[in-house]
Amino acid sequence: MLERRVSRDIQVQDVTMVYHGRGDSVIALERVDMHVPTGQFASIIGPSGCGKSTLLRLIADILQPHSGQVTLGGDTPRAARHDHALGFVFQSPTLLPWRTVRQNIELPLDVVGRNSTRRSARSTDELIELVGLKGFEDALPHQLSGGMQQRVAIARALVLTPDVLLLDEPFGALDEITRQRMNLEMLRIWAESETTALLVTHSIGEAIFMSDHVYVMSARPGRIVSVVDVPLPRPRTLDMMRSHVFFDCVNRVRDGLFGMEESASAASRPQPVEAY
Amino acid sequence: MPGSGPSIRRRLAAVARPTITLVVLLAGLELLKRGGLLPVFVPAPSQVFNEIVKSPRLVTANLGPTAFKATLGFFIAMGIAVSAGSLAVLLRALYAPIYNLSVTLNSIPIIATAPLLALWLGTGPQVQIVIATLACQFSMLVGTVQGLQATDARQRELMHVLSASPFQMLRYLLIPSAVPYLFAGFKIAAPAAVLGAVTAEWAGAERGLGAMMLYALFSYDTPKVWLSVLLTCLLAAGGYGVVALVEKLVVRHGREVKLAD
Repeated sequence: MLERRVSRDIQVQDVTMVYHGRGDSVIALERVDMHVPTGQFASIIGPSGCGKSTLLRLIADILQPHSGQVTLGGDTPRAARHDHALGFVFQSPTLLPWRTVRQNIELPLDVVGRNSTRRSARSTDELIELVGLKGFEDALPHQLSGGMQQRVAIARALVLTPDVLLLDEPFGALDEITRQRMNLEMLRIWAESETTALLVTHSIGEAIFMSDHVYVMSARPGRIVSVVDVPLPRPRTLDMMRSHVFFDCVNRVRDGLFGMEESASAASRPQPVEAY
Repeated sequence: MPGSGPSIRRRLAAVARPTITLVVLLAGLELLKRGGLLPVFVPAPSQVFNEIVKSPRLVTANLGPTAFKATLGFFIAMGIAVSAGSLAVLLRALYAPIYNLSVTLNSIPIIATAPLLALWLGTGPQVQIVIATLACQFSMLVGTVQGLQATDARQRELMHVLSASPFQMLRYLLIPSAVPYLFAGFKIAAPAAVLGAVTAEWAGAERGLGAMMLYALFSYDTPKVWLSVLLTCLLAAGGYGVVALVEKLVVRHGREVKLAD
């Protein structure tokens, strides 16, 4: 049997992406560089329209860059995708409404083939327990709350033990309380999965709480303006959100988002991004 | 299931109310007729019912053939419309020709095609089957076309990230998501097939509800005309009911859709 890599790093090199509209064209991403080491958790934060979802879709091989390159553990995104090495969680749960919770989680297994040895599949029962859906295995999506549906989507993304887990504002539609609980659960699940994770969010608090590195982006053109390292230990706890280190990180992300000179007045005016 | 008691009671209530209305209406008609207050072309319900008792053969000999022709036409149309609809979605170039042909066929007055078809196909039941097919194909084509396009971009991206093959895309996403739309089309098509068959029978048929209707009409047998109309309605409603029942058994996720076209 082939020796499988434990995980893959995410390498984005000098990537530019242009959308051509009627007459004019919009530069969605301009010369973006990024590296998420194997097994780490990184976030991308930025205002709406800064191209953060586009960047995630380039990494997932849903879109192709105009120039520059993306590699996942040295392979192209396409090769990684064909190797079923990617897990993707969308902003909406995107469940198949005719499939039960169990069947939705097992959809990737159906695609790869149940008896395939190409990916080491996790047991569905274990996953259902991990995301707290025990007792709902045979429920249909429309019988679940939004938070529960998103848990199913997370379990589905993890069932093939992906090397790279891509999260596109997965908790954006949830209320604040559920969101914090999901953040904690996500970290717990990630910690034991050894996968490299990349989260797109527009919440400063969420980005810092979850990540080892936060990439701050600006809009039009979409650029990475700063990278904030988060020196908080793991496992993370909600208490850490009151620590000096956390506030220091919040300020540095703010500096990146609003520019140094404006950050002093940032608290007093309406903000384009939400913070905890 | 929690609360199955009240749900049964609610279901009984849902059946009881129209039943009571119907009984009251029929009783009222009966009384009015006996009192001599209704014109000659409105028979008493008992007279219509009496026709069944008098000659049950009349009912079976005409209901059977019409039901058979409508059902056969329905399934032929289903085969053609679902295949053509799938082809139209899969091959963009064929979309307009297929859709336009279906619309055109649907806009032709059925009764006008009957003499032509009789010339081409003879005067047997095949003419009525073809007309039943023509009468019900459109909604099934619309259902297929809409159903196969009913997935959203996220769902397709999901299958893409999972590296699903085109066949898996069809099997796990496109076909299951099309099913509610197919049934929406089938439910419109079933009564339309009955209507097509009966209309075609007017143009000349040995047996069938349309023929029975015509003979009764020409012999001024009002109760028999009413009986044939009633049977046609029951057959059309029955067709709808059977499709709706199959849908309930097949589609478990409670997602009923309406066709937009």
